[in-house]
Amino acid sequence: MDKLLFRDIDEPGLNTLEIYERRGGYQALRDALKRRPDEVLDQLLASRLRGRGGAGFEMGKKASFLPKGTMDKYLVCNADESEPGTFKDRELMQKNPHQLIEGMIIAAYAAEVNRSFIYIRGEYAEQADILDAAIVEAERAGYLGDRILGSELTLSLVLHRGAGAYICGEETGLLDSLEGKRGNPRLKPPFPANQGLYQGPTLINNVETLSTVPAIVRMGGDAYAAIGVENSSGTKLVSISGHVRRPGNYEVVLGTSSRELIYDLAGGPPEDRGIKLWFPGGSSSPVLTADDLDLSYDFDTLAKAGSMLGSGAIIVVDDATPVVDVALKLAKFYRHESCGKCTPCREGTNWTVRMLERIDAGEATPMDLDIMASVQDQIIGHCLCVLGDAMAMPISSMVAKFRPEFEAHIEAARERHGLSAAILSAAVPQPALAR
Amino acid sequence: MTEVARFTHGSRIPGWDDAADLEKAPAGVPDPAITEVPAELREAIEAAMALYPDRRSAAIPALHAAQEHHGWCSPEAIEQVAAVMRVTPGELTAVATFYDMFETVPVGAHAVYVCTNISCSLHGADDLYEAMLAAAGDDAGFNVRSFECLGACDIAPMASVDGVYLGPLELADAERIVADVRAGRPPVPEKELVRRACADPGVTTASGPDAEA
Amino acid sequence: MPRPQPTPVTLTIDGREVRATEGAMLVDGAKQGDIEIPYFCYEPKLGPPVGACRMCLVEIEGIPKLQTACSTPVKDGMVVHTQTARVKAAQESVVEFLLINHPLDCPVCDKGGECPLQDISYGWGGGTSRFIEPKRHFEKPLALSPLIAIDRERCILCYRCVRFSQDVAEDHQLVLHERGYHTYVGTFDGHPYVAPFSGNIIELCPVGALTSRPYRFRARPWDIEGAGSVCTLCPAQCNVTLTVRDDRVLRVLTRDHDGNPGVDDGWLCDKGRFAYQSFHVEERIVEPLVREGDALRAVSWERALDAAAAIARHAGRAGALVGGQATNEEAFLLQRLFREGLDSGDIDSRAGGGVPLELERALAAPALQASVPDLEFAHSVLLVDCDPVDDAPILDLRIRKGVRRHAVALSVASARPTALDASAHHALRHAPGAGEAFLAALDAALGGPGDARARADAAGLDAEAVASLAASLRDGGEDVVIAYGERLGAGPRGPHALRALLNVAHRLGLDTGRAGAGLLAVPAGANGRGVREAGASPTAGPGLVEPAARGRDAAAIARAVEDGEITALWLLRADPLRSHPDQARWRAALARAGLVITHESVMTEAVREHATVVFPAEAYAEKAGTVTHPDGRLQRLRPAIGHAGDVRPEWQVIAEVARRAGLDLGVSTPAEATAQFVAAVPFFAGLTLEDIGGRGVRWNEREAATAVPAGAAAPFELDDPPVAAGANGSLRLGTFRSIWASPEVEISPALKFLARGPSAELAPADARRLGLADGETVEVGSNGTRVRASVALRASVPVGSVFLETGLAEGSATALEGEDDGAALVEIRPAS
Ligand SMILES: Cc1cc2nc3c(=O)[nH]c(=O)nc-3n(C[C@H](O)[C@H](O)[C@H](O)COP(=O)(O)O)c2cc1C
Ligand code: SF4
Ligand code: FES
Repeated sequence: MDKLLFRDIDEPGLNTLEIYERRGGYQALRDALKRRPDEVLDQLLASRLRGRGGAGFEMGKKASFLPKGTMDKYLVCNADESEPGTFKDRELMQKNPHQLIEGMIIAAYAAEVNRSFIYIRGEYAEQADILDAAIVEAERAGYLGDRILGSELTLSLVLHRGAGAYICGEETGLLDSLEGKRGNPRLKPPFPANQGLYQGPTLINNVETLSTVPAIVRMGGDAYAAIGVENSSGTKLVSISGHVRRPGNYEVVLGTSSRELIYDLAGGPPEDRGIKLWFPGGSSSPVLTADDLDLSYDFDTLAKAGSMLGSGAIIVVDDATPVVDVALKLAKFYRHESCGKCTPCREGTNWTVRMLERIDAGEATPMDLDIMASVQDQIIGHCLCVLGDAMAMPISSMVAKFRPEFEAHIEAARERHGLSAAILSAAVPQPALAR
Repeated sequence: MTEVARFTHGSRIPGWDDAADLEKAPAGVPDPAITEVPAELREAIEAAMALYPDRRSAAIPALHAAQEHHGWCSPEAIEQVAAVMRVTPGELTAVATFYDMFETVPVGAHAVYVCTNISCSLHGADDLYEAMLAAAGDDAGFNVRSFECLGACDIAPMASVDGVYLGPLELADAERIVADVRAGRPPVPEKELVRRACADPGVTTASGPDAEA
Repeated sequence: MPRPQPTPVTLTIDGREVRATEGAMLVDGAKQGDIEIPYFCYEPKLGPPVGACRMCLVEIEGIPKLQTACSTPVKDGMVVHTQTARVKAAQESVVEFLLINHPLDCPVCDKGGECPLQDISYGWGGGTSRFIEPKRHFEKPLALSPLIAIDRERCILCYRCVRFSQDVAEDHQLVLHERGYHTYVGTFDGHPYVAPFSGNIIELCPVGALTSRPYRFRARPWDIEGAGSVCTLCPAQCNVTLTVRDDRVLRVLTRDHDGNPGVDDGWLCDKGRFAYQSFHVEERIVEPLVREGDALRAVSWERALDAAAAIARHAGRAGALVGGQATNEEAFLLQRLFREGLDSGDIDSRAGGGVPLELERALAAPALQASVPDLEFAHSVLLVDCDPVDDAPILDLRIRKGVRRHAVALSVASARPTALDASAHHALRHAPGAGEAFLAALDAALGGPGDARARADAAGLDAEAVASLAASLRDGGEDVVIAYGERLGAGPRGPHALRALLNVAHRLGLDTGRAGAGLLAVPAGANGRGVREAGASPTAGPGLVEPAARGRDAAAIARAVEDGEITALWLLRADPLRSHPDQARWRAALARAGLVITHESVMTEAVREHATVVFPAEAYAEKAGTVTHPDGRLQRLRPAIGHAGDVRPEWQVIAEVARRAGLDLGVSTPAEATAQFVAAVPFFAGLTLEDIGGRGVRWNEREAATAVPAGAAAPFELDDPPVAAGANGSLRLGTFRSIWASPEVEISPALKFLARGPSAELAPADARRLGLADGETVEVGSNGTRVRASVALRASVPVGSVFLETGLAEGSATALEGEDDGAALVEIRPAS
């Protein structure tokens, strides 16, 4: 298969305008500017490209939701990439920044936007420096600014560095953060397409989504849609990490088998180890097990299997790793990253960590597993944004799929610490509030 | 009062137990007439404000600039940013304390973020973090923190040293990193992320996935 | 700007048909059908919902996920369930989550018994908690300010208090720190949350996290009663509920939580909220006093009344000043005594000079009157020579709301920088005292005759700025509200300034009677409008009728005392040494007058040094009567507590003195006093106390309003305004009265800290030129009079001006204000 996103990715100097142009860069933009914005939008719609940031919403559709007219509209590229296990945007920005910029200019043209921003996580300092240099090059070459390449399009692009907060990847948290506030998610509706940045209509897309745009313009939306499987068109960068021998980013056609990704591309777990569980779409996706390795890696199949493709990040955990360790790491992460705005997420993540700590220490009973599962149910669907669900769903899936291991873990830890059953009975919940 | 362990993950200012100091004046927008701001910091903040349709958007870039200038987001630094941005220091405090990269207590100049999230911890990141802490010892020049996923699980376990991503690291690298930083050298340069080739065997350019080896 | 018109929709909630107003959020819509959906963070007073607490989740048919009822507008045909197992489970979950770290220390919590968290936990919680880990414990309570205590254990992070600070008061002092479960409410670097409206967060907090330090542990909900009244500590006249226990006021709250939309919108300033303490302090005068030699002695009412009745001997030579805290009835009765019994029309309620009757009438024309809600919905609002935060605080919040929620275009023209400058499209800084020149320039810029440029120059303004303001007022939509301070009409040029104002109003078409536009006069005294319409004016009798004889204004009264033409003074809640210009002349006048009758509640200099008879003044909580809001709304004061000590109703005191002086006023109850007053004012015809009711009634909206006699008609020909004096090495003196400059603040223990010493606000360039540093003590003086103040550097103060406070017990800038110009030139130098 020809690489679309990773075309020439390791070409030395691809991050410079000179090499990018020599490799055909900005030709798609020139072609797009010869058409009307709505024609370009039609290509995006035809491609059926689904967002690569996590939610998987069709990009063309989202762009078409922006109201027409001359009000201030914005395009924001989500380069916050903080979902554990995900590192694909990093490689794209570092090695091929102009592909992203070109994609943004085309998207802005299609959505009739004239101000754009890239919100990059503050930790990606090296990538931000590269992008800043690329933006300057693009401005000098007339790809950004007033009347781009003599067309009607005017577009500014500002790189905005974040400062360390996973929640700023959530699109409305990102908008608040970009407005200079705490990155708390907003109530939806209104959706950003109607009222986003500075209350203006805003299109938000992931780095990978926008980086795909030049390829779509190059090959035509229909041709792009022909790649992949139903409801999952195109190629996808998959970040594979954890217990695999060749961790890294792989560009694959959607619909490739998961086994092929984990074993053939990433080399599978170290020798003598099996796979206990794997996250198919970042740490927020419910876990799958070795039984699920033959699932086709696409949006619908993974959803049907009770999980999700998410950001396209596979984390492999081998069978020598206690599931409780994984659960605890995960819960602590979400507790740390909860913005604190809504009750179930703020309190639920903390409570879950506290219970897992007891479970890990052997100061728990199987009843605590029930309580923990029920707390996850109390979070799911009740929060302002989906960060709470992002913890509750994988934790729930771990308890459901590995309950015997949790119970054994409690038992073993208790023996290790010499705790008697008598002490434990003190930990049985007591009614705290009399009616 | 029972001490409850908190602020275990990352450095966060404790403030729960603090009352207001009733001797202080209320903190409104600092009057430029009585707030001195170093010229280069003022320029950086004003340049940032000029980039956005609403000057308030510059809060994070301005705090980055102030942190660079002062070493941390000290009350003085926050007041200076507030004076230039014409906002209250309270608004900036709300922002500064929300984000992990802003330091609201004095810290060492060299930031070492060790990723201890899932993928890295599956590769021994917790030990690496301990090793980094031990290597830095009580050298006040270092600010060693355990961080959430830094987006570099392909080089697990890894760390970001003064913004440069390094990995995969071994425990022994901790001492080398500290020594290199102290000597003013780029730390473990052969492990810089930016030098790595793409893992995908299908990429067709001259350098392939094995080039790094 | 068009206001939302209610359209009804019908929806089904729990199988019941509910009629609600379109656009209402489900929680409110459900209330219209008597269905309660619990919530914590929702508070429409704070702006759009935030959806943080998740308490209000409900099931809506056709939507798979539960929805927050606080943020979902009702729609016709919507089918909602609030009682299903799914909803119940969600509600129980949220309560369980919220109580995880809540200490449940209700028995020792001030909020206990009136706590939404308590009520909702009982009503919608599961009754048990499965959380067995140790709760978080923190130091508590902690001071958040001298007025407010914070208990962070109890906080449920509903965002209400910080939203108030950000989105209502816009002081941005109270913020959230940290993130996630570490989040807490606090301020920058431990600074206290001190701001004019800070106390509102106490009422907003749905738990006992924010409590009033003065109220802490004073009472439990079952010990107290609520009594509605009107705060008369400033012209905003907010509607309040007084918390009364054992005949003492222990707390002041906004009336019924939502307040009066026509007046206060459900907010109070901290003066109104905490100055109730002044009702019950030892400093208060609670018995009549009479001067014997050098000393004031407590005497019986008989003696005091007789001593005051001696005023009969000064007939034709008596003058009266009526202050802003007097009721309509008191002012009315006093002017009757003076005009009918003492043959004197020398009665004034303004500090800065009388206003000719034709102008007074023109300004009171019903067609010209803007209402408080108009400030929120106008296309443009222009403030002239007033800063609402000091002059009528609650209007500041209303204007901010208009700017924020309804995109009102705000402009400010004043000498001193105002708190609203940052919200304004145009903030014009004219020279102190040059309000007239500004308006004359604006009149010309709006098409009136005259040289706009020369007038702008005279005001010390840039002509382009005036032109741009004129264009924005003219073209920004027809609903324009101009709010102006009493300062504008002060001094000998006052009438000229008012004519210029009427011209501007005319050019903008505000005098055509269109609803939603007009003028709003902010008087210096709380009931300034009411007492003038009741006849406490040298130029107008009750109802703005021509008086039998025109009398002297305040300044002329002072001169007449000096000249021996007036020999007795009656000060009804007026203190000329604090609030009138030319302090030295007043001091001399008070010393010279043979009889000085005062109604005061505190020992002021005027009382201590000069009063012959002192009647203890009523606190507003003790009063019965009516007051008139600046926008014409008559409001009713109802006694919430009995009188302290020997205090008697002031209307009764006036009537009794009159009787002894030989005039029977014919009133023996407060209702009779009101009836007599109403009957005397043609444009109140038919008005009863029932009409006024709990929310008041705007007289200018009633039919009888047509009875206002016609005044002079704009446009007027304007003289050339005087050119603002060139500062020329010295500085122009501008004055202002701060919200905190009042005796009630000085004697309320909780508020004392806000009554700061006098400061001199100075531009950095002037300070540099004069070698003065921030905080340094200086003497500001003119013509030999000096006032000590400490320098406060302000980048926003225009070069060449210095601003000093009036209304202070000591160091009041009234000492420096000449009788005839508000804009004296002063010298400033380090204090020796
Ligand atoms: C907690 C949370 C974190 C998220 N983080 C990211 C992120 O780091 N990068 C990203 O592109 N999308 C992230 N998303 C998804 C965004 O909200 C949004 O759906 C996405 O940026 C849309 O772009 P796309 O349609 O191109 O995928 C996150 C969502 C949630 C709820
Ligand atoms: S202090 Fe009260 S009002 Fe403020 S967030 Fe906490 S619970 Fe809400
Ligand atoms: S009241 Fe609806 S979320 Fe708080």
